[in-house]
Parts: sequence; C-alpha cells; structure tokens
Amino acid sequence: MNDTDIVRALGATEPQVNTEDALTRFRARVESEGIAGVAPAARRRVTSRWLQGLAAAAGVVIVASALTLSGVADSVLKIFEPKSVVAVPITQSDLNYLGQACSGLNLQDCMGAYGTFVWTTPPQPKEVQSRSQASAEAGFAVQAPTAVPSSVTGDPRYGVINRSSATFTFSADSTRQAASRQNRTAPPLPANIDGSKLFITGGPAVVQIWGAPTGHSGQGGPDIPTLIVGQAKAPTISSDGVTVDQLRGYLLSQPGVSPQLAAAIRAIGDPSSTLPVPVPAELAISHPVTVQGVQGLFVGDNTGIASAVIWQKDGMMFEVIGSFTESQALSIANSMR
Amino acid sequence: MLYWRMETSSSMTLPARAGAGPDGAGHLSGTISPAFEELFRTEYVRVVAIAHRVLGDQAEAEDVAQDVFVSFYRSHPANAPYGPAWLHAAAAHAALNALRGRDRRSRREAAQALPVDAAAVDDPSEVVAASETRDEVRAVLGRLPERSAALLAMRYSGLSYAEIAAALDVRASSVGTLLRRAEDAFRRELR
Repeated sequence: MNDTDIVRALGATEPQVNTEDALTRFRARVESEGIAGVAPAARRRVTSRWLQGLAAAAGVVIVASALTLSGVADSVLKIFEPKSVVAVPITQSDLNYLGQACSGLNLQDCMGAYGTFVWTTPPQPKEVQSRSQASAEAGFAVQAPTAVPSSVTGDPRYGVINRSSATFTFSADSTRQAASRQNRTAPPLPANIDGSKLFITGGPAVVQIWGAPTGHSGQGGPDIPTLIVGQAKAPTISSDGVTVDQLRGYLLSQPGVSPQLAAAIRAIGDPSSTLPVPVPAELAISHPVTVQGVQGLFVGDNTGIASAVIWQKDGMMFEVIGSFTESQALSIANSMR
Repeated sequence: MLYWRMETSSSMTLPARAGAGPDGAGHLSGTISPAFEELFRTEYVRVVAIAHRVLGDQAEAEDVAQDVFVSFYRSHPANAPYGPAWLHAAAAHAALNALRGRDRRSRREAAQALPVDAAAVDDPSEVVAASETRDEVRAVLGRLPERSAALLAMRYSGLSYAEIAAALDVRASSVGTLLRRAEDAFRRELR
C-alpha cells in the first residue's frame, strides 16, 4: 500500500448525515432515558491554561499566608506581613484530611469548609511580552536571574497578576458541615470567631517561566518549565477582631490535624510575620539557607528532581523553582538583580 | 508550592467527571439548552466523520456519535470551551473501542456496507479492492497505539493541526511529527 492508498482508505467517502434528524434522535433518547444535562457554565475570563496556572499561583501567594495547605490557619492577626519564611511539614495524613475537608484542593472549596471566601478584587493574570512591561504593570522593578544553568534556554514568558483582595468570613455552620461530611465532630467555633472576617490582600505578582507550558502536555516535547521565578508584594492580612492566638488555637484543635503539624505551627515564633511554607514531610526536605543576604528556605524533593528557594526581602516575596541542585538553585537566586 | 499549583493546572486534561460539570454547574432536566443544540449542530458531522474513518460504517459511526454526545451532555456544560476538542477525542476513542470490540458478525456487516461508500466506483474489481483496503485499514487502526490511531482518524476526517492538538492535548507544533510517526507505524503494520 502506498501513500495514495492510505489517503484513499483513510480519507474515505464523506458520510452523508442529516444533522437535524440526528438531533431529533438525540432529543428522543434524552427524554426516553431521562438523561439530565449540565447547565451552561459562566464564561471564564481566563483563556488559557497557562493563565489559569497563574491564577492558581495568585491564590497561593495570597492565601498561603492565611491557611496552610491543610486548611489550618497558620497565622492570622491584626496585621500580618511576612518578613521571613519557615517550612511546615505536612504529612500524608494531613493531606488526606485536606482532600476530604476541601472536596479537592480548589482554593475556594477548601476555604469554604470553614466559612465564606469572597474575592473583592479577584486575581486576573495576564501575559505580557517583556520584563519592562511586567514591571510597569506590577508597579515594581521585576528582578531576573543574571546567571542560569545551561539547561535553562530561550526567553521567559511573563505573567502579571494584579493586586488582589479577598474577604473570608468564619462560619460555625460551614465548619460543622465540613466536619460532618467526614463523620467527625468539630469543636464549637468560639463566638468571637464565628462571623469574624479576615481581609486578605496579595500581589501584584510577576511570574517568569522558562520553557513555559503552552497548555498542552503531550509527546511532542516536555511541557515542564525549566525555571520559574516568582516575585510578589508580600501578602497582608487583617482581621476585624479575632487574634492570631485565638484563631491558631481553634484551628489546631480541628479533627484531622496531626500532632506533628500542630507542633510545627505552634513552634512558629512570630506568626504575624512568618510565612509558613507547607512541605510534604515524606516527599521533600527543607532547611534554612542564606540568600541575597537574608534567611530563606530551600525545599527539595527527595529524588532531587525539583527544588525551590523562597525568601523575603524588602517587602517582596521571591521564589526560584526548577529541576536544580541546591547549589544551582541558590546561584540562580543570588544572581537575581 | 507555586510550581505544584501550576503543574496541577497545566496538566489538567479534558474534564471527565461524571455527575457534576466543571465550575460546579448544576444539572438540567427536560429540554436541551440552545447552547447544546448549537454545539450539536456544529460538531455532529465532524464527530460522525471521525468515527466513520475508524469504523467504515456510517450507521455504526452515527451510533458512536450519539453515545459521545450523550456522554458530553451528562457531564459537561454545553458552552465549555473545551467542548469540540472533547468531542473529537471522544469520537476517536469510542470508535476505536467499538472497532476492537467487534465480533466476526459485525465485521461481515461492515463489509456488506462497503458498496454504499464505494458507490462512486464503477468497476466491480475496484469495489472489491477498495473493500479489502478498507478492511485492512480498519484492522491496522485497531492494532496501532490508541493515540496514533486517533490522530490518523482525526487528520483524515479533516481536522486541522490546531484542532488535533486540542483534542489530543499536545502542542500544535508537534502534530506534524506525530502524524508522520503515526503514518509510518501504519505502513509498518500493513507490511
């Protein structure tokens, strides 16, 4: 069989279909079998998966300081502004609990287990074409590494996330329902916490990605970025009354929070200025490092495949992430200008 | 953590959860929405065409198309941006499943249906040759890796590289290479 035969065979005669008859048949089937359809969804503003990724990143930047990955408040207070970062080991059981409590890891669903989360100014990531444009959009000088390993090639893509804000209102009912969905009983929400609000702001943030995914992850080439550099204005949180200690005490008493996680969170010296970074205890290692003259955090997975350096300096949070050794990751971080 | 979130998002494939649509959309009972009807009218011909490339039988291809639309209707909002890509991929995979599940009787029925497709060919010997070729083609499609077979079915039913890329969740720039590999594999299987 030659190419012409293949074309003839695969490019067989077009079937002559009557779409209206087919639709009538479809309607009849739906009716006779009682098939229910899904209501049309509201159109999303985010148009590409890459930008959706940035939206997710924005959520993490903003909320990481409010709730750790387990849905447990790490540090809340009157005014929260991280000046340092610290690793908080999260065990598999914590993650399991999170999965059950949050109906997955969707940010809004997760926080919905404890109250009502509303974006007052939602993150709206967008892609820009250059670093200078990113700086102009973000309102701060975007730093970039001046030295990268040879595995990092080409030009980065730039994503900018606007300054965003959200309000979270604690709800005793939501907390009870979340616990009851797991056949657990939550401790009663203290009266001064029930109904209290947290006001969370984060960003602007800029993400630079080398080897940026196009939205497709297929055989045609690796879609895993070779280097990600994030820079954001440090998030802040304020509350309308509840204190850090009250909140921390209550949330650590939730069912499903492992003693190790509770101990790690309690060990945070100054929760109002420390950003806890959830680190999977069984899968990753972490330790403090000095980067750009300040104390930061190195996080690496046990296989050495991925690593990250996170630090805070001059009111900005920075992240360098990729498949690097610790020394490579630190070199990149220290070359940021 | 940023990386984890981005990977979680970027590695998402076509939503396939049954019972609840993405975005938490609720279920409708009774009438089909105008948005769904529009999607049906726009995509039905191509869904049938993809299935037809695999099965070589129009009636069977239309049955597959109906099943594919029912699956989509049950689980996804009609205006989901990934709708067409989802339908194209589902058509190819459902048709390949049907092809592999055929028993000898259905193969005989498919062979009997061939003269309809070959109606434009006047010479009986050409009809027989065309019939044998198409039987062979379907047998080879059934033996190829799923994605290669799906890619060939989509391409030869007229989908663009961009549409194939969306359906198979690969880069558009990779489709040409993947297609050549699939065609090479196709030829090898025929030998």
